[in-house]
Order: sequence, then C-alpha cells, then structure tokens
Amino acid sequence: MKKINGLLAAAAVMLVLSAAIGSAWGYFTTFVEVRGGHTLKLGSRTEIDEEFSDWTKRVSISSKPDSVPVYIRAKAFCGSEYQLTYSDKNKKWTEGEDGYYYYSDILYGGQTADELLVKIENIPADADVKDSDNFNVVVIYESTPVLYDKDGQPYADWDAELETGNVEGGSN
Amino acid sequence: MKGTRRRGKSQTVTIVIFVLAVGLLLFSSIGGARAALNYYSDVYESMAQTQDIGVTLIENGIEISNRDYYYNREKERADGTWDENAGTLLAGMLKEGEELKLGYKYAEELKVRNSGTIPQYVRVSIYKYWVDQEGKKLQELSPDLIGLELDTRDWILDAGAATKERTVLYYSKELSPDSESTPFTDGLVIDAKVANSVTQKVEKEGAHQNITTVYDYDGVRFIVDVKVDAIQNHNIEDAAWSEWGRRVTVNNGTLSLK
Repeated sequence: MKKINGLLAAAAVMLVLSAAIGSAWGYFTTFVEVRGGHTLKLGSRTEIDEEFSDWTKRVSISSKPDSVPVYIRAKAFCGSEYQLTYSDKNKKWTEGEDGYYYYSDILYGGQTADELLVKIENIPADADVKDSDNFNVVVIYESTPVLYDKDGQPYADWDAELETGNVEGGSN
Repeated sequence: MKGTRRRGKSQTVTIVIFVLAVGLLLFSSIGGARAALNYYSDVYESMAQTQDIGVTLIENGIEISNRDYYYNREKERADGTWDENAGTLLAGMLKEGEELKLGYKYAEELKVRNSGTIPQYVRVSIYKYWVDQEGKKLQELSPDLIGLELDTRDWILDAGAATKERTVLYYSKELSPDSESTPFTDGLVIDAKVANSVTQKVEKEGAHQNITTVYDYDGVRFIVDVKVDAIQNHNIEDAAWSEWGRRVTVNNGTLSLK
C-alpha cells in the first residue's frame, strides 16, 4: 500500500510540474515564407542571307523568333587586288577599329537588320559581268547576346568566351 | 485493526491530494478556453491584444505576406485565429512578356514589419537555387549567379549557417509593434555568366564529329525563397536558443550572435 501511495504522490508531483514546464517552453513565435522566380531564355539564333549583283553583295542578317536579343557585326574578305566599300541606307552599320562593321541597334527575335551593302571596287574595265561568280567575297558575321549593366544600359561583350564545363559523348 | 484504519486514512489523504493535483492541472489547462469564453469583455480583449505576435514581409514597399496571431482584419478584433496571407516573391519584377535582362539590377528591397502587438526580434533565411521545368532542383547549377544583393547595415550575417544556397541574417535591433526593419536586400542581378555556361554534346558520325552546344541555364528557373522568423523580445536569449537553436546575447536591445 505504501508503494501505491508513493506512486500516486510522485504522479501528482509530476503532473503539477509538467504544467509548469509547459508554460516555460511556450514562447511567442511566428513566421512567413514566400518564394518566387523567373525562367531564363538563352541562346541567339540568327541567320544570314546574301545576294550578289552589280558587283555588290547585299548582306541581310535576321534573328529567329525564338532568339534572345542580340548585337551583330559583320566583315567581308576578298582578294587583295580589290577594295571593298560598305554602306547602308540608314547609316546603322559603322566600322570598328578591328575592321568589323557593327550594327547599332539591338536585333530582337524575329527582326531583320538593315541590309549591309558590300561593293567590290577596282573592277577591271574589261571584266565580264559573268565573271562575277568567280569573285570570291566571303562575309562572316557574329552575334552576341545583349547584356546590361546594373543601371540597365545595354552592351555587347564581344570578348565573352563560352565555358564548356561539361562535354558529353565523343568517345570512340 | 487500528493499523488497518491508519493505512486507510493515509491512503484517503493521498488520493485527495492526487485529485487536488489533477484538479489544479485541469484548471490551469482550461485557462485559455475559459479566457476565450470571456472574450466579449472589453477589458479582456485589450489585455489579449498585448499578447499578439505577427510578422509581415514587405517587398518594394508592398506587403506581400504576413502571419499575425489573434487579429482578424475583417472583423477588426481578436478572435483566436491566425491571420495569414501568402504572396509570391518577385511577381512584379517583370512586366508581362518582358524578358529578363542579364546583368541588370532589379529593385528588390525586402524588409520586415512587426504586425503584432508585442516587441520582437526577427531573422531571415534566404534560399537561392535553380529548378527545371518540372520544378526539380538542379544542384549542378550555381546559386552564386542569382545575385541577391544584401544590405547588412543593421543585419548580422550568420556565417556559420551560410551555404552556397542559404543565407541567414539576424536583425540586430528590437522591432517594436508596427515598426519596420531596415531593408536586408536592395537588388537582384542575374549574372551575365549564365549566358556563357554551356555543355557540348559530341556525336561521332563516320570520320566526323558533330558538336552541339547547349546553354546550361536556358529554360531553367531561378528561385528565391525567403523565410522570416519572429520571436518575442521577452527572455529573448532563452527563447532564441529554444525556438531558433541559436545562442544570442542582447545588450540594451541590441542583439549579437554568440
């Protein structure tokens, strides 16, 4: 019987103590949690179209609808005995120090840049127009995604290099 | 016989004490319920208001999420429930159809308001990561390129809790009811490096190799997750240790990390 009395007394003490513990552990707290984000769209998708007539190459560069906005530049090469002159209707192509011609506007997805005209000078007077097919004028062009500084001013980073951290496949 | 009576008396006393203990316990536990029954009393209501705790996250001046105890905005009185409103972070960052500008610093000023009625201390946990179109976390993409710019003038960076993905900040000041903290972020910049990170897939085709370049960050989504914890100012050092698991000291209302 003494044992039962002891157990009952101990239980009573524990019950009372447990009530006190509860209040000691209860602190006022609250929290909020929110999240959000946006999807990135990357990758420039452009193409070039060239026509040749009257000793002039008409270069047209366009951006595909799913392309990110890009800046473009172009340059033409030919034999050293000829000279090339560049022009365009709205003066949007300007020569850079590196010989490239830079298009001033951002080319957004689905847009086409103003035609760049590359005229071949110093054509021999007796040259046959049919021979124009033999004039090897090569036009190269490049595009780079439009970047922004922290204030929102757009710029092109022509020196950016791709970081190929991963290479998949290629083994024999 | 006499001994049996004494034992019976002793047992009765013990049982009475036990019943009294149970009674005391029950009385204490129904205190809240009893108080709730009396909440129509103006006196009680004003007393209950002093026990409210609440916190609100403010993004660029707009309250986007809150969790306040005991205050119902529609009823404009305490009713024993939580008033919760959960918004979406960065929802106003881009206009409809606008593409994200790499490198541009978007305004992202985040701060905390004490929307309760008791003084409190707060901390924020910021998580940054990338997910694919199905929402699966992409561990291989760098959280560092999600540039959430911090303002730590009044916030303490918990270096011990920091990972590439997580940043934990403690507000060093006590936040009194209805007051706002200073901002803990002021801008968000997605690093232009995301445009240069690619994976090349090389496929052999006879004597030739076809190399396909895929942008690692094309089509993935960056996520910023912010959690704000608020805790009562009373007995703050013990409370922070108990509820946040963080040892802090408070001197003259200024919190510092141990």
